[in-house]
Amino acid sequence: MSALLDVVAVSRRFGAVSALSDLTFSLDRGEVLGLLGPNGAGKSTCLQVLSGNLAPSAGRVLIDGIDLARRPLAAKARLGYLPERSPVYPEMRVDEYLAYAARLRRVPRARVAAAVARVKARCGLERSGRRLLGKLSKGYRQRAGIAQALVHDPDLVILDEPTDGLDPVQIRETRALIRGLAERCGVIVSSHALAEVQAVCSRVIILRDGRMLNEAPVGPTRQPSGPPIEAAGETLYVRLARPASPEALNRLPGVAAAEPDGDGFRIRLVPGTGADGLARAIVAQDLGLLELTRPRSDLERLFFASIGAEAAA
Amino acid sequence: MILTIARRDWAAAFKTPLAWLLLAASQLVLAWVFLRVLDGFTGLEPPTRSAGLNLDLSHNLFGTAAVLLLLAAPLLATRALTVERREGTDQLLGAAPVSLAALVLGKLLGLALPLLLVGLLPLGLTLTLLGVAPVDPGLFAAATVGLWLCALLFSAAGLYAASLSTQPALAAVIAYGILLLLSMLSQAAQLAAAQVSLLDWLSWNQHLFWFLAGVVRVSDLAYFGLATVLFLALAHRRLANQRLG
Repeated sequence: MSALLDVVAVSRRFGAVSALSDLTFSLDRGEVLGLLGPNGAGKSTCLQVLSGNLAPSAGRVLIDGIDLARRPLAAKARLGYLPERSPVYPEMRVDEYLAYAARLRRVPRARVAAAVARVKARCGLERSGRRLLGKLSKGYRQRAGIAQALVHDPDLVILDEPTDGLDPVQIRETRALIRGLAERCGVIVSSHALAEVQAVCSRVIILRDGRMLNEAPVGPTRQPSGPPIEAAGETLYVRLARPASPEALNRLPGVAAAEPDGDGFRIRLVPGTGADGLARAIVAQDLGLLELTRPRSDLERLFFASIGAEAAA
Repeated sequence: MILTIARRDWAAAFKTPLAWLLLAASQLVLAWVFLRVLDGFTGLEPPTRSAGLNLDLSHNLFGTAAVLLLLAAPLLATRALTVERREGTDQLLGAAPVSLAALVLGKLLGLALPLLLVGLLPLGLTLTLLGVAPVDPGLFAAATVGLWLCALLFSAAGLYAASLSTQPALAAVIAYGILLLLSMLSQAAQLAAAQVSLLDWLSWNQHLFWFLAGVVRVSDLAYFGLATVLFLALAHRRLANQRLG
């Protein structure tokens, strides 16, 4: 059986400029895939190709096994897409807009009202139905944009920077919404915010200059590969003034494991030991404690390692 | 799907002042022309005013309505597509299971309603004379059909122009250019005598003339049908190419 989304060797050129080259990946139901990359990496172009707004110069996009280029209407019926800029008509009311989006996606007329009510509840728009979209705040317009992408219960949801312009409370709600979506469908989220991707995605693709640099599983408690890192105890990053070996740090009380990380060390503590205990032990050994912080996330390290900007970080 | 798109455009036109302003301004201009035509006939004896009134109204009133449509339809048509791009809603339509053909036809139908109403205004004015003057309803019905066909053709040309440029002003200028060029072909035909009667046939105002004279000919219907379909097909082609890049 084919995956929910299969992207096979997709390239896209704009004249002489190559915006995407040889992109291949797949997505299953239940996954949230993050597209990560600096500005201009090709994230939005990639999502426009996946949504059928741009045709790829080469390669194929299959949604539920249906070729997006050969049978676009059948493939697009399974798709919900939020572009970078929320696609709303300022003169329409929220209810009218969502009903229109539902009709465009071939929701039967009798079921439109129920679909609109359901998606408004999911996106926190229950009390905004009569409001004009042009009068809504950016955050609410973004919610309306997300709602139109979900109104027909699509199998594949593509969200281009969904938390852009939202306040911290709305960001948390949107993340919860995306995680909820992943229970029934596949979700692709693009972002240039690492925290965003770390918070909601189960897998990440790192793009730069239209090329796929890395593909790795992520999550709040997992490394890109290997066993969970937080299970044993807290992990901290220390930088010392005097030279020390990992073995010497391993012998400190409360330290479970120490390994070099850049110009410092990444230290895993035994459960029950805190940062204060580690600081006391380092000071007692007179190692010259310069820095004691939470380590950079695995995703952050992966990202900077992938785009070759480790030094700049 | 065509109706879904058209209905949204109707609602947008009538919820904003756009359609109302268009109708009000058209009515003002047409009423003035109507009164001016009537003025020329007041005081004349009944036998001299019967046939002349009908033709005069048809040429002046319906002719003015055609000019109004020529001014308004390309503007509205270019706006219909460029607004979608400006608001980013073209992405909503592009990701929805809607074919480009349905989109183009939906847009044409969306434009048709306000323009058809403009086309009805002169008919309404002339029908106020029923009972007080010997009006010829058949003549005015034919002229109204001619106006409607013109409105559809102008809209299709406007949609094609809008597919060529993302700038609404530039798109409108392109549309006016196309339509004026088509209307001037008949003058070129007159200069070069009978050999170039094809140019004459290509000119929309020659075909409208027959409708305003109360004559509904198949060749005129075919002209408006074919020209409208041609511009729609060109717009469709252009929009499809934009997706391919």
